Amino acid sequence: MPTVGAQQPGRRPNRDNSGHADIRDEVLRVGVGRAIAHHGELLQGVFEGDDGRLHRSLITLPMVRLQALATFWPRPGRAIRTRPSKRPKAARAARLTLEHLGLRDAGGDLTIESAIPIGHGYGSSTADVVAAIRATAAASGIHLRPSTTSRLAVAAERASDAIACGDQAVLFAHREGRVLEYFGGEFPPLVILGFKADGAGPIDTLRLPPARYDSEEIQLFRVLRGLAQHAVRQQDPRLLGRVATVSAMISQRHLPKPAFEAIRQMADDCGACGVQVAHSGTLMGILLDATRPRNSATAADLARKLGDAGFKDITTFGLNAEGMLGS
Amino acid sequence: MSGDYLRALETPRFAQLAPNLHAAAFSLMKLMPARFMVDRAESAGRLRPGGQIVETTSGTFGLAIAMLASSRGYGLTLITASSLVDPKLKHRLERLGATVLVIEDPQGDGNQRGRLDCLKEILRTSPDTFWPQQYDSPDNRLAYARLAEQVVRSFGRIDCLVGCVGTGGSLCGTGGFLREVFPDLRIIAVDTHRSMLFGQPVGRRMLRGLGNSVLPQNVKHEMIDEVHWVGALPAYATAHALFREHGLFMGPTSGAATLVALWHARNNPNAATIAILPDEGHRYADTVYNDEWLAGLKDWPVSIPAAPVALDRIEPAEETAWTCFAWKRRTLAEVLAQ
Repeated sequence: MPTVGAQQPGRRPNRDNSGHADIRDEVLRVGVGRAIAHHGELLQGVFEGDDGRLHRSLITLPMVRLQALATFWPRPGRAIRTRPSKRPKAARAARLTLEHLGLRDAGGDLTIESAIPIGHGYGSSTADVVAAIRATAAASGIHLRPSTTSRLAVAAERASDAIACGDQAVLFAHREGRVLEYFGGEFPPLVILGFKADGAGPIDTLRLPPARYDSEEIQLFRVLRGLAQHAVRQQDPRLLGRVATVSAMISQRHLPKPAFEAIRQMADDCGACGVQVAHSGTLMGILLDATRPRNSATAADLARKLGDAGFKDITTFGLNAEGMLGS
Repeated sequence: MSGDYLRALETPRFAQLAPNLHAAAFSLMKLMPARFMVDRAESAGRLRPGGQIVETTSGTFGLAIAMLASSRGYGLTLITASSLVDPKLKHRLERLGATVLVIEDPQGDGNQRGRLDCLKEILRTSPDTFWPQQYDSPDNRLAYARLAEQVVRSFGRIDCLVGCVGTGGSLCGTGGFLREVFPDLRIIAVDTHRSMLFGQPVGRRMLRGLGNSVLPQNVKHEMIDEVHWVGALPAYATAHALFREHGLFMGPTSGAATLVALWHARNNPNAATIAILPDEGHRYADTVYNDEWLAGLKDWPVSIPAAPVALDRIEPAEETAWTCFAWKRRTLAEVLAQ
């Protein structure tokens, strides 16, 4: 789980019965929040909610190795200043969090330190926003539920992804900031070979028109959702790999990735579980069953082949894989 | 949505029939395509409040659409033929407010042409009427993504799907979606002798509710790996066994699908197999589940064949027989040309 904490001890705020802080007279302290990156999605499409309506939703592929760290430094006055400057979404997130906590008149400086590259589908913007929300909440001594954090994140940047849920497998309505289905736990163990095509430039996620899925695709998403739930329940990496592969194939009709077929072939040849893509970015990944022996040799071999084929930013990371924090 | 009873009624229960065989047992499977088609017509504006629906059917699709039309306030006209009328079902449809038009049928073949002429006349005089077209509308197949979802949610990987073919909607719909996620899925079609769906000459069929004397567009021959033709008598006997051995009180087409699925599962013990059982046995209480009626049948009681007779050339057989043919994902024209 991402961490929330305080660097300087301060007086604990008083809380009313709703659990919200009543801290108008309290001194805010320095608060720290972290948020993880992701490596695109395992599944993205439109899915039926309990209301019978369709909701754009996704299953995020968490990438714990890359993180954003935000620090909230309280300062008199209502202004929120960010370092680096020009992080308006993070500033808005901090402001919305203060308002949510009943601290309308509070303000401060928000420092963001992030190792997450911008514009390639790693969710850098959402990580900044979620880290900012957590830092601001920590500054007032409050822990927020993932559902509250997600809702604030969507309010701050229009769309979000599921990283507020950490490494829990959920189907997340990213334009509404709420979970459509809790799959019931952590992901099956995977090792992911991540990469992107040479010359793939950054994509402004929010300026991308939303994909228009036809009714056959919409019905297929229903089946993929069911299979994802089974894969999580049974901790079956191969079935989750099938979900990701079919979702990536549908994505090819909307935001095609170069050399996709060659990647699929490469994945098949090495006995991988499947392939995944960032549905609104440039990232691709080959998914390996983390419980299989000789994975590091397979991963090294794949990395070499991908490099020879001209792919860039080749990286290996684990998802719920024992003994693997990534390279 | 949790309170929508018809939605719950369209949801099958799963029954384990063998270590590697599960059956999706429906109370009334046709509710699944009927609701999907009505929902789609509503959202597309083809069906407005208080609107009219028309369909040619003498079977369970009529019952399904009548329940939906009645609960949602639509008028419904169902067109059937005199040779196909089941008086109890007709009364049930009329209790739901449906108008049942019975077309004369001197040849006793269902007079599909006469029924379609009547339907087109209704569409001509009332052009706002919604015609679901379960034979030819792709929505029929699309509706079965819900069954495919339930199957993979429950069982994950599936290697073989066995189901009856009448319109092609359930088998080609479910099979199509399952094959998108499991490309090696084997699809086995269950038909009956003298149905024209898989290249037999049309004739009198004793087993109703599967097979057809016309070819619906929802039958996608090139998806099918293997075709079985099951006679009425082994289908009845297998339905009886389903009730005795599993408490599953199903219609005779479910018996036909079970017979084929059990055989396939036994011979392929590592293949996770699913059989689709489309309806319950209550409609057949006076026939398939009535010993006096059964005693009047030629060749009853029947001993259930242990295995099908593999055909080199497609041809009809007796109602006691069970035959099969390696279709190998070919079109109807390709198979007939061989």
